[in-house]
Amino acid sequence: MQFKSFDIVPHGTKIDFVGKRHIAVVLSLIVNLAVIVWSLPFVHGLNLGVDFAGGTEMEIKFGKAVDPGQVRRTVEELGFKGASVQTYGPEQEHSYLIRVERITLLTEAEVARVVDAVKAKFPVDSSSFNPEIGDKIDFQFKQPPTPAELRAAVEATGVKVREVREEQGLAAGSRSFAVITQGIQEKVGTGLVAHFAEAAPEVRRVEYVGPAVGRELQAQGFKAILYAMALIVVYVGLRFDFRFSPGVIIALIHDAVVTLGYFAFSGREFNLTSIAVILTVVGYSVNDTVVVYDRIRENQGKLRGRSLGEIVNLSINEVLGRTFLTSFATALSLVGLLIFGVGTIFDFSMAMMVGIVSGTYSTWFIAAPMTIWLEERAARKKAAAAAAPVQPAQARTAGK
Amino acid sequence: MERSWYWRVGLIVAVALLSVYELVPSWFYFKLPPAERNGDAYDRSVPHWAPDAKRHLNLGLDLQGGIHLAMGVDVDRAVKAKVARRADEIADYLKSKSVPFTSAGTAVGGTQVEIQSPSPGEVKTTVLEGRGYADEMYAPGGAPDGAVRFAFKDRVISDFKAKSVEQAEKIIRNRVDAWGVSEPDIKRKANNQIQIQLPGFKDPEKAKELLGRTAQLEFKITDDENPALDPIRNQLPQCPGTRAGLTLPLPEGGCWTGEPVELPSGSSRVVTMVAANTRPELEKVIQAKLQPLIDPQKNAVAIGKVDVAASAVKVSYYRTYLLRAKTELTGDYIADARAGIDQSGGISQGQPLVLFNMSPEGARRMEKLTTENMRRRMATVLEDNVETAPYIQGRISSSGQITLGRGRSQQEMFEEANDIARVLKAGALPAPVTITEERTVGPTLGPELVKKGTSAALVGLALVLLFMVAYYRASGLIADLALVLNGLLVLAIMSMIGSTLTLPGIAGFVLTLGMAVDANVLINERIREELRAGRTVRQSVQQGYEKVFWTIVDAHVTTLVAGVVLMQYGSGPVRGFAVTLIIGLVASMFTSIVVTRAIMEYFTRHESARLSV
Repeated sequence: MQFKSFDIVPHGTKIDFVGKRHIAVVLSLIVNLAVIVWSLPFVHGLNLGVDFAGGTEMEIKFGKAVDPGQVRRTVEELGFKGASVQTYGPEQEHSYLIRVERITLLTEAEVARVVDAVKAKFPVDSSSFNPEIGDKIDFQFKQPPTPAELRAAVEATGVKVREVREEQGLAAGSRSFAVITQGIQEKVGTGLVAHFAEAAPEVRRVEYVGPAVGRELQAQGFKAILYAMALIVVYVGLRFDFRFSPGVIIALIHDAVVTLGYFAFSGREFNLTSIAVILTVVGYSVNDTVVVYDRIRENQGKLRGRSLGEIVNLSINEVLGRTFLTSFATALSLVGLLIFGVGTIFDFSMAMMVGIVSGTYSTWFIAAPMTIWLEERAARKKAAAAAAPVQPAQARTAGK
Repeated sequence: MERSWYWRVGLIVAVALLSVYELVPSWFYFKLPPAERNGDAYDRSVPHWAPDAKRHLNLGLDLQGGIHLAMGVDVDRAVKAKVARRADEIADYLKSKSVPFTSAGTAVGGTQVEIQSPSPGEVKTTVLEGRGYADEMYAPGGAPDGAVRFAFKDRVISDFKAKSVEQAEKIIRNRVDAWGVSEPDIKRKANNQIQIQLPGFKDPEKAKELLGRTAQLEFKITDDENPALDPIRNQLPQCPGTRAGLTLPLPEGGCWTGEPVELPSGSSRVVTMVAANTRPELEKVIQAKLQPLIDPQKNAVAIGKVDVAASAVKVSYYRTYLLRAKTELTGDYIADARAGIDQSGGISQGQPLVLFNMSPEGARRMEKLTTENMRRRMATVLEDNVETAPYIQGRISSSGQITLGRGRSQQEMFEEANDIARVLKAGALPAPVTITEERTVGPTLGPELVKKGTSAALVGLALVLLFMVAYYRASGLIADLALVLNGLLVLAIMSMIGSTLTLPGIAGFVLTLGMAVDANVLINERIREELRAGRTVRQSVQQGYEKVFWTIVDAHVTTLVAGVVLMQYGSGPVRGFAVTLIIGLVASMFTSIVVTRAIMEYFTRHESARLSV
């Protein structure tokens, strides 16, 4: 050889991927099932961020300039998660818009107590409380009390009221009131005063904001992922062999689920960026698989007569170096973000890292060996139907 | 070197130069301090030889903030419209059941349906027992003698209100998307409000106009035979001017004039119309003098704007149309709309207009409508303004057009046509919206986070570059060169289409560069393999590229498929992500295959060439 180079994966490595596929499949099944079960809302669920679950937004005005980074840290120390702080209006006004993850300070027990107290005093038609919307209880009356009376009745139970808002019921005769309780506003107010006493913070309003990604958008995005996967599978089928397609689709789902697992088990916020990561993993993880399939196809032409199992094993080993190195190079681009990244960016790179590792693993142990499993199944079927003279599945084994 | 090599090198140099050229506006954009970027200072700073100043990279809400709008949705009005619609439905239903009634309208401020009938009891039982109306409605009582009232149940009303706001949010999102603003932040708030943040947006007036339009499109038939408005001739002065055009300005308080129209019977009639200088003035006249003359169950008076192309000064007046009250067809049935140029050969030949296509159901209705009203005039009412009222000359079904008022420049009209097409396509708002709040907002990420995030991304990029050189030596250096060109190319395309960069977007960009280098890893590994098999350097390079070519294409196409599907179905951030992915893939195919190959071929042009790979 005329130059010096070293290979990370030595040339001629022989690892029996095909032989270990049973262990790998069992392991992957366990991991995938664990992620799916853990992500179910009634088991543990994902920590949905403001993008999906909505949040609470407050406008705070300071008497003089403050450091927005300090404000964000203070709000997070008060127990609100995922805070973002935006200047609101011209800079010299020192107003900030603070958005935190949704939080309800009222407990179900308190709500029940308030409703009972009001029912005891006034003819309540119906009442409703939705923890998704926040600290707000709706009452409907046939003969309504005055807002002041209602406020007094609620406050008698020890729950502080910020506002009683009359909401015109369009149905004739009934009147409805929304009782908005105090809690978040006070908590943030006192917390900020403690830290920024000299800047005289003033909480101007606190309100619920809905998710940036409504149900419909979520459904749309989910559908898009499924369509994308389906088309990838069809493409791989057309370019290689439809016997390869099931392996691809299982590997794709596997990688998406494992990436989701990062968010499920770490409890980190699941938001729009997380969706983008999963999509990237789906698009990227198939690349390694294509490299291996390509080699399998090449070897099928060269090494006629060998069993598919041998060819698959040989092919994976031959391109082991490059499937590893491509993933390694891509992972390298994330290293900086992993070390210095904060918040969303850290999660982005960590989840992506998980996805890349999973993508390489699934190529070696799942996607390619899967084709053999299908082949064996077809062979068993054929053996079972040995009497039958026609061999429909055998015609395309050459793989061209 | 072969002839094709020179062609390829020429192409590469051209692409590189073009990329740099396209990045000129972005360069000037980021050179300015953040406070001045979105103002006139930027437009002035871009040199005249540069590409269109609008085409530059944007920063997202997290990096530079933008404008913040809160819009209130007038749900009460939506409810009233629903009640009015229900009144019509009930009337049709009663007719089909041959239950006698004299009128069907609304009462109690438009919140209840009131049916007047000689036998109110029968009406009540028919309505509440048939067609599932009882699920949604009940009879609250309180109606005068000889009438019965129906109201929606509370639950239905609150569901409907929530749905109206949801619908409004969806439509606003569609409009923002159609308008090409990427990475907006649109959220629903309590109190029927929608909050919108648009990144670094320069033109709040335009945003407000586009987002606030109701885009309610209605088709109504003019009631030209009806002499109801004729008595007004005794109450108002006659307008000055001739039949060809009125002399402006019109007298204060409005005036009447005769408009000769052809009737379907073949005869003609001079229809009375009222004109005034301003819309509020005309609205006042209609309210005070015309409304008492007509039967609101049967007719409605609508307003149209007439532009007079008299001189360079734009003059216009407002006039009335007497229409049948019933809305025959709405814009809900529009499937597609776009701006076009009038090809009819009539007087407005060559003028911009809005072309639209109806959905199959809409086409059916339109066909029925135009067949039944042949040779009558059909008014196209957009946002309470009669845009045109042409005679129905033939059957119209699936496609139609809206001509616009004249007297403006071609450019202005085309922009207007575009705006209308955009809002028609995005759908009508179920209820009018008002802008309740408008502020500028700062970035959602503090400057310290932005700095940390971007430098972290750069560290990753540096590591990738270093790794390639360390592992593949000269070949790695060539791949790095291609990677830099790749980055340049991606940024240039993104800036051409005015993409918005967010911090996750920057991380994603670095990641795509990490992926782009994969192709070179594959090629170099293959070259090593060919060398091990004992081929010469020149042969190995040749073989390496040829054998890996299809692998790289396959890998890119599968990812590309994912990107294209996402772009089709996704909205907002998902779409932005898909666009970046697609651009990155196309650029990467070019740089990793074409660019590195041209350089490699140059260095291995002799049979005895050496290469460190």
